[in-house]
Formats: sequence, structure tokens, C-alpha cells
Amino acid sequence: MLIRTSDRHRARRAFSPEPAAPAAGGTDRRTFLKRSGLAAGGLAVLGGLPLGAVRKADAGVPPPAGATLTTRKNICTHCSVGCSVIAEVANDVWIGQEPDYDSPINRGSHCCKGAAVRDDVLSQRRLRYPVKLVDGKWVQLTWEQAVNEIGDKLLEIREKSGPDSVYWLGSAKFTNEAAYLNRKLAALWGTNNSDHQARICHSTTVTGVANTWGYGAMTNSYNDIRNAKTILVMGGNPAEAHPVSLQHILEGKELNRANMIVVDPRMTRTAAHATEYVRVRPGTHIATIYSILWHIFQNGWEDKEFLSQRVYGLEEIRAQVAKWHPAECERVTGLPEAQVRHIAEVFSKEKPATLIWAMGQTQFTTGTANVRASCILLLATGNMGYAGAGANIFRGHTNVQGATDLGLDVTTLPLYYGLSEEAWRHWGRVWEIDYDWLRSRFADKTLMEGPGIPSTRWFDATLLPKEQVSQPDTLQAMFVMGHGVNTITRLPEAVRGIEKLEMLVVCDPYPTAWSVLSERKNGTYLLPACTSFEMDGSRTASNRSIQWGEQIVSPVFQSKNDYDTMYLFAKKFGFADKMFKNIKVENGAVLAEDILREINRGGWSTGYCGQSPERLKAHMKNQHKFDLVTMMAPKDDPDVGGEYYGLPWPCWGTPEFKHPGTPILYNTNLSVKEGGGTFRARFGVERVVKRKVMENGQEVEKEQHDNLLAEGSYSVGSEIKDGYPEFTLGVLKKLGWDKDLTPAELAVIQGINIRNPDLVSWAIDLSGGIQRVAIEHGCSPYGNGKARMIAWNLPDPVPVHREPIYTPRPDLVADYPTLPDARQFRVPNIGFTVQKTAIDNGIAKQFPLILSSGRLVEYEGGGEETRSNKWLAELKQEMFVEINPSDAAARGVVDGGWVWVTGAESQSKTRMKAIVTERVGKGVAWMPYHFAGWYEGADLRDRYPKGADPFVLGESVNTLTTYGFDPATGMQEPKATLCQIRSA
Amino acid sequence: MARMKFLCDADRCIDCNACATACKNENEVPWGINRRRVVTINDGRPGERSVSMACMHCTDAPCASVCPVECIYPTEDGIVLHSKDVCIGCGYCFYACPFGAPQYPKVGNFGSRGKMDKCTYCAGGGGTEVSGSAEEYEKYGSNRFGEGKLPLCAEMCSTKSLLAGDGDIIAQIYKERVLKRGYGSGAWGWMTAYHEGIEV
Amino acid sequence: MMHSGRFSMTRVANSLAVSLRGALFILAVMLVTMSGFAFAQKLNPDGSPNPDASHVSEQQLLKLLPRAEGRIDIPDTKAAVLIQPMGRTWDYFHEVLLHWGAAIVIVGTLALLALAYLVMGRLRIEGGRSGLKIVRFKAIERFSHWLTAVSFVVLGLTGLNITFGKLLLLPMIGPQAFSDLSQIAKYIHNFVSFAFVVGLVLIAVIFIKDNFPAKVDIEWVKKGGGFIKSKHAPAGRFNLGEKAVFWLSLGLGVAVSASGYLLLFPFSVTDIFGMQIAQVVHAVAAVLFVALIMAHIYIGTLGMEGAFEAMGSGEVDVNWAKEHHDQWLAQKLANEPHPIRGAATPAE
Repeated sequence: MLIRTSDRHRARRAFSPEPAAPAAGGTDRRTFLKRSGLAAGGLAVLGGLPLGAVRKADAGVPPPAGATLTTRKNICTHCSVGCSVIAEVANDVWIGQEPDYDSPINRGSHCCKGAAVRDDVLSQRRLRYPVKLVDGKWVQLTWEQAVNEIGDKLLEIREKSGPDSVYWLGSAKFTNEAAYLNRKLAALWGTNNSDHQARICHSTTVTGVANTWGYGAMTNSYNDIRNAKTILVMGGNPAEAHPVSLQHILEGKELNRANMIVVDPRMTRTAAHATEYVRVRPGTHIATIYSILWHIFQNGWEDKEFLSQRVYGLEEIRAQVAKWHPAECERVTGLPEAQVRHIAEVFSKEKPATLIWAMGQTQFTTGTANVRASCILLLATGNMGYAGAGANIFRGHTNVQGATDLGLDVTTLPLYYGLSEEAWRHWGRVWEIDYDWLRSRFADKTLMEGPGIPSTRWFDATLLPKEQVSQPDTLQAMFVMGHGVNTITRLPEAVRGIEKLEMLVVCDPYPTAWSVLSERKNGTYLLPACTSFEMDGSRTASNRSIQWGEQIVSPVFQSKNDYDTMYLFAKKFGFADKMFKNIKVENGAVLAEDILREINRGGWSTGYCGQSPERLKAHMKNQHKFDLVTMMAPKDDPDVGGEYYGLPWPCWGTPEFKHPGTPILYNTNLSVKEGGGTFRARFGVERVVKRKVMENGQEVEKEQHDNLLAEGSYSVGSEIKDGYPEFTLGVLKKLGWDKDLTPAELAVIQGINIRNPDLVSWAIDLSGGIQRVAIEHGCSPYGNGKARMIAWNLPDPVPVHREPIYTPRPDLVADYPTLPDARQFRVPNIGFTVQKTAIDNGIAKQFPLILSSGRLVEYEGGGEETRSNKWLAELKQEMFVEINPSDAAARGVVDGGWVWVTGAESQSKTRMKAIVTERVGKGVAWMPYHFAGWYEGADLRDRYPKGADPFVLGESVNTLTTYGFDPATGMQEPKATLCQIRSA
Repeated sequence: MARMKFLCDADRCIDCNACATACKNENEVPWGINRRRVVTINDGRPGERSVSMACMHCTDAPCASVCPVECIYPTEDGIVLHSKDVCIGCGYCFYACPFGAPQYPKVGNFGSRGKMDKCTYCAGGGGTEVSGSAEEYEKYGSNRFGEGKLPLCAEMCSTKSLLAGDGDIIAQIYKERVLKRGYGSGAWGWMTAYHEGIEV
Repeated sequence: MMHSGRFSMTRVANSLAVSLRGALFILAVMLVTMSGFAFAQKLNPDGSPNPDASHVSEQQLLKLLPRAEGRIDIPDTKAAVLIQPMGRTWDYFHEVLLHWGAAIVIVGTLALLALAYLVMGRLRIEGGRSGLKIVRFKAIERFSHWLTAVSFVVLGLTGLNITFGKLLLLPMIGPQAFSDLSQIAKYIHNFVSFAFVVGLVLIAVIFIKDNFPAKVDIEWVKKGGGFIKSKHAPAGRFNLGEKAVFWLSLGLGVAVSASGYLLLFPFSVTDIFGMQIAQVVHAVAAVLFVALIMAHIYIGTLGMEGAFEAMGSGEVDVNWAKEHHDQWLAQKLANEPHPIRGAATPAE
């Protein structure tokens, strides 16, 4: 019996779920019971209850009488796992949340953030209307006034200093459509100064991984970790950063009795569930990987067949690895030989083995090299391209993968086309905008085709003398949509930067730290944006699955969705007709589906072409059909049969081609048509190297042609049983496959390059014909190449261990210095000088503790949104620093006591509580990075617009973080710097 | 008759606090009242385990036993409910509760802590309000149970660590897990709450 | 309707198990000050820590400490206690030991007093009333006494309601009325406690000088404390019996007040274990106090002629004073010019 007692029988609410959406609440509790399968690990169940007798109704706040209860499905906005959120809505008010057991990604689960997202929309701390700062006071204004005033000023700056003096900082919390629109807005404005959180998140991963095997993304999926026999987590704490992923990791670990090894400076919540925990010093990733490889090569544990068929550059790596014998390993990393050997043996023998990482590898000056070392380990052991293996790179924000894909990046247009003229012409064709007009928007062609300023350097580009910034003028205005300032290192300099700007526009659901940090009195505008729950749009999870979220309620207060805001500004700038040429706008409301259709029409290079809004919506409706482990729907299903959940990119061809998506990248065990693939032939077909060889007893230098295409390896069903280059019309012709193109396709191809259609490639063929034909012959459109261990276009072609800029081990810098000073991304990178100066000044003695930073489960990013969520804010009410008991004892610091933490630059200081814990090792201090609103001991609560201050404020760790930028990406170094702590 | 219980598999719990916010969200629990919480044992040391805890809906519930006005009682399903109309806010249930479940809003001065509030197993209240009514929701929170649903904390648990449902079945799930993976730190609180552990 | 009686057989049958927990309770007292147990961590073959293998179990923890406690981030520090099986022990104390104990002590005291009355009857003034009055308690003294006395009775009744109301009153008046009554009783109990403490302090300050032990007390005991009619028991202002009441009241009063204020401001000073102990102290002291005061009331009213007026009007008959507090009377006569008031004509 489900009612309490017979004498307490109560009338149950007579509530019928909206008939149009039966799937959301529906009968699926039975399915849930079935799927929860006791054998499969189990879930919470209403066991033994006569479920059939229970009438469905909806829990939560009872809706007002007469109101219809509707159920809507969206995606959690807080991390890249992509958990489905089911919302119950009455009278346009979000009144309750229900678990979505149908989603193969989260099966109803959430972390505290996902379980609290309703308050992201209900929050009374949201910014309610546009405001501007007038003589230090916030003054309300209408949207129309705001757009006019801001627009006029931006146009004035454009006139005076050129388009590059306005910075368009976008967001990883954008939908795909908003991210794309933001990049398009910057393009039409005439600058490549367009970036977002991926810069400080996984920019190094994208660069490093793409330069290894073609695409810079997670190769497998959260669900696929269930297949792993060995799970190696290096530089990630998914238990706090991606909690729902632990459902897959822990269930997989339990069912397979898998090894789960966590290598981290902290004994994290993830490490607590590992079979083995290894404590390392921050900033020694490459040294650790090479030390592991030393044992692998020493014992011949490498996967020789895989290496010979699908990998290039092993010899250079062997030479580098040879230096990392156990003694050197111990000198640099402190890891004992036995432990390293054990990891090496497990990782190479107990396969499939997967390597999981997040910001613990990326946020270093060696970030790109770090992730490449990880790739090298995976390649050497052959743990790539099949189920249970792979590089499971956990992205951070909800749509950081999508926003990266859609080109919110200073180095590329949407979908990794780069910034070359060919790329501009491609997008010009998609947008139906004349190339010459686009060209006229830029200051010059060099700037049009050269990378912009990374978000980590915006204040340098504002503060540096004009002549040191390689564009017509320094930055004058920041237009920030959904990006906290406190997640970027060197906050004291950012504060000076904010003060120097002519104009600061923050379009965000919350005021954010941008609005309070500086002494600025005028020229700051805050525009209320709505959350992604208040709009339609798709988002790409870390596993490349794209999920469509439907608007739950209308934007609250006076907030607007990003599409409409950008439309208003495009109109103000006078190019709305061009920008929205193929996108329907009705009464100022932009149709999200049309934006996705435009992305589909141009997204060939990354396989964003097949995921039409209709297909994505069908997936959301049929979530329950997808398998938990493979993420595939049964082949005979009429709606989504044979497709993988969320059509993980690349989803080749047009939507009509019905490619199922690619759940595992580079998987030769499946045909391309069914989601298989090869390594991308992205680096040419051969490499010419001069080598010294012995010839007739004499050493001579000879040019050798190294084959960069796969040898003897190809995906299932491939008609070419060997490596092959990427497809163009010319290649099709050589193979005689061009006859398979339809006349319509051929016409489109010929229209793209009238003079030489043979050069038209799979990536710019707007008809999709070249992809279709290649795939029908079982081939990857992008070719079948080798992954490369040596990336000759990067600053360190072979990854090399380099000490952090602020290292606690000055003695190692002579052997492992950072790279020389250079100019990158329009600004100077003087890391080498900074490192040398720090050593000369004995900084490591004055600041003897390593300071690292990371994520808490309750908060996200800069934390403004989550610290304004009453259910989350209650859980962590104070900023803190973790310090080892021995370091605390030496300083008279007690658990829970106040401390001053001082940093190595800008005489920075912060005041916070100490947590004395063995979680961190001796000599290491750790802080979360989600706090803001305090600065150098002062509480800035009064500076927020009235009523929009977050519940919880605290010092930002980035007040203490220091100089250091990855030369390939401009990534900052917040994971390893130095600090000192004293009792306050 | 099904006997409803909670079971937290500490080898799965990662202290993500989803249970805590799900509870807040579903029942609109005010700031300062923590019907469910996660406690971490051996924090930061090898052997660290987190356990999500709320009212365990005990057998022979000590809170009900000590309540001077007898406002707490078990239902036929073993869910321990209470009537806020009858409660006088004396705080005795907190001294008796082995799990720190009762919460008090602390209104007024001295010992007047307001009516006790605690986990209802998302089964509404123990008062006289109509099941599923706005009045019941206001006072006690959601009544999922009456709709055939389980407490939202367990339904939303990130790693399926927190199990809710019939005691025999969740015990069976737990046993099978332990057998499969080869280890288990036990069903936390079961001996104290239900006078029985789970033998594997 | 909900729970059957507290005295049911099942509960008594459980008492064996509960007494085991009782032993734990004592163990708790011994161990509660100790903390910081480090568990021997198990290692992988190569010497690295294996978090899986070295996990802790509840039983392991509870073997070492009476409760499992960890870290929690919300400000409510008492939430860090995960499991405290002693709650059940406290329940056993409160619902079994206290109910039985209090019932036995209170009913037993009543029975003893009734027996005393039956056996000894009312102690008369042997010499009969003289008609002459002498001031025994000044107004401030009487005020202090009655302040304490009235608040004590109120506190006693409202307090007993918390323990026995549900057994005695609830079945008679029904849950809602009983709840309303108990709610009011709780407020009264909380607020009247301040009056009681004020009274207690006044009494202590005013009377302490007359309550120190004296030689005469030995004599008083030898003479049977005035209960043996043939012997005269000498005494000062207060005889040893009264001194005992004073000191016991003071001791119990301090215990009840101190523990009471801990309960009134829960967890502001102590943790859950301390709160449980405070409640135990409060309950036990209060029950003993009630018994003591019942005896005090008996002797001051029914048990002895002429006693009540000392606290009533403040004046006692000189003959009564002679018989019960001869030394005090003598002192009074020696030190004060006109201590005796009353009859216009001398008794002779």
C-alpha cells in the first residue's frame, strides 16, 4: 500500500500530466525498474510495491488551482556531463524538478548543482533590469537606452581605434546557437578578439590533442568508461567537477573490478574511491608520464602493432623517454620507482585502459605539451580508438565543448576552419555574405587572418603601451557575455585593466565580479541575460553528444536571451540583415532552430552537419531507447534506430544522410557509416626529414620521406585497405568514385571553386556529396592517417618537462627552464624573464608553499551564479585554503582560523579561513576558484547593484595567481604558483 | 507490507550533496534547516568515506518514544512522520535521534525553537492536512510517496549511492553490489536504526 | 493511538540489549575526550595507499568511539555527528529509567510522608501557644522563600508534565489540547526558571550564614531531632534538618539550573553528548528535588504545628521557638531590645 494508513487515507491530487508530453513523466518507472536491473548495479527502487495500482501525479509544489502542469526537458547548465533536467511548469513558473531516468547520460541523477538548478531561474539575486554606473551609483535604464548608449560608444571606439579595440568575450554557458552567433557577431564586427572560457579550461587540450590525431575532444564518452579495465585519472577530480560521471566510473570499476588510479597533488574525493592514489607535485605531468613510459619501453610493454600501423614519431619519443630513468623521475617528481613501474604495468597490460584528465593537466605553461604526453602514453600502449580505452577529457562548463567547436576562439572561425582566406570564404558562402565586405570590416587582412588576443591577456592588451600590442590600438572596451573575471589569473592586474577600459559591458544573469572589483565610477553597463533554461537551444556535452534543451519558462524579470540581445546589437551596428539573413527573427525574437540549421550547412569539418534540430528533438523524445553503455538505440527502432544518443560529432553528411554519430573517435572496429573512423590525415601525406644515415660506411645526411598515412590499418568496410589522404573532388576522381555524386551535388561543388573544382574538399563541400560518397565506400572523409607523437608545428614538437614559472624547485630550472620569451597572440610572453627573476630574487624562499587551485562540487566557474543559488550557497559559506597539518603547525595556523595568504606578484594578499587537512601534502596549499566579492581582505558587498549580491562572497584565488602562459594557446598557470600563509 | 528504508552505500557516496539540494528543492526547505546532509569520515585521509544522512525512519523510533506530546509516529510503511500542530519544539527528539535528523527553525528567544522539521521521506506530513494539498506542502513539503514516487534525494543521487525503497529490496541490491565488487563498508546506521545489519 | 505504553513488556524485555548500550554509555564517558584515531591504512603490494582496502566501516568506528563523527561544511557543527547510537540509550533512560525511577521516588516519598503522618501524627507545640510572637523571617526573607517556592512548584508541575503528561494528561484531554497546554507549560517553564534562579540566589545569600554546621547540630541529632517527644533537641536558627534541606536544595538547585540553562540554550556550550548528560542531570536532580521539597512542605505545614506561620506571617509563637530553636531564641532575646510582641498581658 502506498497510502499511509487506511484511517489516514487521503485524496490524491487529481492531476493529469499534459497529454502532449507523456514521455517525460509517463509510464517509465517500470522501464526504470527494469533498467535499474538489480544485476546491473542497481538503483533506488520502489521494490515490491504494486506499482500498477499507483496513479501518476506530480510531486513538488501543488500548482495553483486551474493551472495546467506541463513538463519540459532541458540540460543542466553546470558541467559538461550533460544531465537532463525535467521541469514542471505551471503558469510559466517553474514549480518542480523531476529525475529524468530516460537519459542514458544521467539516468535521473544530478549533483547538488543539477538538483538545485530551479533556483538559478527563481533566484531573487538575479540582475533584474539594465543598469549603468553613474558616478559610482547604479542607475536603471531601459534596454533601448542601454543598446543605444553602448552601441554608440562601441561604434565610436571602432571609428577611433579600430574594430580590434573591442573585445567580445563569450561564454561556455552559451547554447551552441548563441556561441555561434557570438562568433559571427565578432566576425561581422571585424575582429578575432573573440574568446570564451575554453581558453582557461581546455584550450591546451584542444590544441594538443588535435595536433596528435585530428580532433581536440574527448575520444570516448562518460558511459564508455564502463568498459574500461584500467581507469587512470591524472589531473582531474571528477567526483567534484563532474559528479554524475562517477556513476559510470564507479559502476564500471565495480563490475569490471577495474583498476582506478588517481594521480593528483590532493587526496581528492575521487581518490577516496580509487584502488590506488599517487601524490604528485603540481607541474610534473610530463616527467611522470615519461617515467611511466620508461618502464613500458624498458619492458617492451608497448603495443607494437598499433604503433607501427597507426602512429608516427615513436623514435623521437623513445630518445626523450630514455632520459627519464627512475633516478631522474624521483629527483623531479619524488615518485618511487616501484609505484611508477606498477602504474606502467597496469596501464599497458590491463586493457582497455583509459586516461581521464581535466584542468590538472591543462592549466600550466606546459599545458599543450602535458596533454600531448598523455596522448603519447595512450598511443604507446595502444589504448586508443576502441571501447573502454581513449582519452576521456572531461570538459568543464555545460557547453564548453560546443562553444569551442563553434569557434569562440581567437584562432579560428566556427568548427576549426581556422582564419585563412579559405576559411573566411567558406563561412562567407554559408552566410551568403560577400567576402570583400567581410574583408572590409577588418583593419587589415593580416589581422583578419591572424589570431586575436586570448582572454587571459585582455588586461595586458589594455594596460601595455600601444606599440607592444600588435593591432592598431590597445583594448578600449570589453563586451562580456557570461564570463567571470575572477577565473582569470593575475586579478590585481585585471583590476587595473578594468579601471583603464573606456567601456565595460557585462551581459549576464548576475552582476559578476566585473562590476565590483574596481574603483571605476562610470562607463560600466550591466545587461540582464537569461539562463539557458529560459531559451531554446542545443548544447554539446563533453562526449560530443548534442542535446536540445527546450525553454522552460520565459526569461525572468527584464532579462533577455542571448540571441535577442545579439540581434539588438547587430541591428544597432547596422548588419542585422546580413547576420540574420537565413535566420528567422519575429518581433525581435530569434528562432534558435534556424541558427542550428545554418551551423549544419557549414559544419562539415567537424561533422556538425547532420544534427538538425528535428533529429536532436527526436533524440530527446526517445531518450529511453538508448543503451546505457553503447549509447545506441536498437537498429529496428523507427525513430532513432541505430543512432547514438545526441548524434555525437562527427555526424557526417546532411541530416537526410542519417549518419548515426560517432560515439568513439578513430574506432576502426566500426564502419564509418556506423560511427567508426580512422585517425585524421590532417598533417599531410608525408613528411620530409633530413636524417644522418650510414651509407657505404660513411655518414651522410639524407632526405627521407616519412609516410604519415596509416599502414595496413583501416576501418571496417573500407574499400581502401590502407591509409589514404583526405577526400577532395580530385581524389574521388582518381578513385573513379566521382560518378557516385549526384548532378546537384556536383553543381554545388563546382560552384565553390569554379576555376579548380578538384580542390574542393570534404570540409567545404556545401552539398555534403564528397562526404557521402567517401562514407559509402567505407572511408573517412578526412582520410586515414597516423596519429603523431611529434607535432613539428608546436613550440615543443616533442613534449619536454619544464618547471612552472614559479617553481618551488629553483634547482631544477637549470635543467628544465621554461621556453624563451616570445611574442604570441599580439602580446609579449615574458615567462622566461619572470621565471629567471623569481629565482634571482629567491621567491621560492619567501613563498615556500605551492599554491594550486580547483573546483568544489557546490560551485561552478567564477561562482557568481551558484553562490547566488540559495540551496547551493548554504552548503559552502566561506572561502578557504587547505593546508597540511605540518605546515599549519609551523605557522600557528589552526583549523577554521583566519589566515592571510600572500602571493608572489603584485604584493597580493587575501584573507580567508584555513582548513588544516592531510588532503594536501606537505608544502602544498589549495584553494577553490569560485569565490569573489572580497578583495585583499575587503568585503565589496556594497558595490553590487542593490539586491543582486550573491549570498556568499569571498576572496578570489586569482588575486594570488601569477604570470605564466602556454606558448601555443595563451593558457594561464593557476595550478602551480607559490604563496605564503600566516595566521590572521 | 513494504517497509521503507534508506541505505547509503558509502563506497559510492562522493559527497556531491545532490541529496541535500534535491531535498531543499523538492520541499522548499528554508536556509538553516538541513533535513539531509553528507558527512565525511576521515576527511582527506586514506579510508575517507562520505555518508548521506537524514531521518532513517527507525524501527522503534527513539524520537517518537521520547516525544512528550507523542507527535511522532510510524506509518504502516515504516515512515516516521510527525504533526507540526502537536509538536511543542522541546528538542527531545534531537537528543534521542541517533542520526541528528530533527531540525528546528529557531524562532524567538530561549528554548522556543519552533516546530520540529525533518525528512518526511517525501511523504507529506503527519498532520491533518489533506494529502497533496498546498497546506500540507507549506508545512511539511512534498508528498511524492502518495504519488508513487520515492524521496527525491535518492532518486537524484549522482552515483546511485543513496537507495530508498523497500528495505528488503535495497538490502538485496546492496548485497549484490558488495558481492560483485568485493568490498563494502556496511550499511551505515542500519544496526542502530533497524536493529539489523546486512550480512553479505 | 500511536505508541502503546512506555511500560510495555517488550520494552522491558529489550532491557538486556539496552543495558549493553548502557555499558557503552559509560564507555562513552571514558572515551569521549579522546579523539584523532588514525586507522591503520592498508597498502598496495608496492606500498602505495589503497583507498578501497583501507576504507572505514561504521562498526569499526563505533568500536573505537561512541559515535561516528566527520567533517561537514554547513555552519551547523552538530550536523557533523553522523551516528550516535547513544540516542537510543538516552531514549531508554528517559522512557524507562526515568519514568520508573521518578514514579518510585515521588510516590515513595508521598507514601513515606503519609506513613509518618499516620505513625507520628502532627507534631504539636508541647507547651501550647504562648500568645507571644517573635519575628522569625523578615519580609525579604519570606519574599525570597516564596519566590523560590512558587516558581519551584510551577517548574515542577510543568516539568513533570513533560515526562508524565503524555501518560496521565494526554489520554484525558486529547492530543491537541494537551499539545497546547504543553506548549504553554514549556514557555512557562522556560521563563519561570529565571524567577527560580533569582529566588535561589537570594535564599543562598540570605540564609547561608545560619546554615553552617555547628556543635549544637550533634546534640540535636543525639536528641532525636525533635521527633522524640521526651527529649528536647537544641538548635540555633536552623536545626540540622533544615540545614540539610538548605544545602540539598542549594545543590540540587544549582544542578537543575545549570543543566536547565544548557537545555535552554541547546548546543551553545556543549555537544550532543553534553546535552544528553545535561538532560539526565536535570531530570534526576529535579525528581530528587521534588521529593525533598515534598518532605519540606510536609514538615512546614501538615507535619508540625506552628511551623507554617514562620513563612506565613513571619512571626512564630515563642513557645514554638523555645521548643525548636532555643538557642536562636536566646540569642534573639539577648541581642534585640524588644524582640517579643503580642499579648498585652503576660501568660502567667
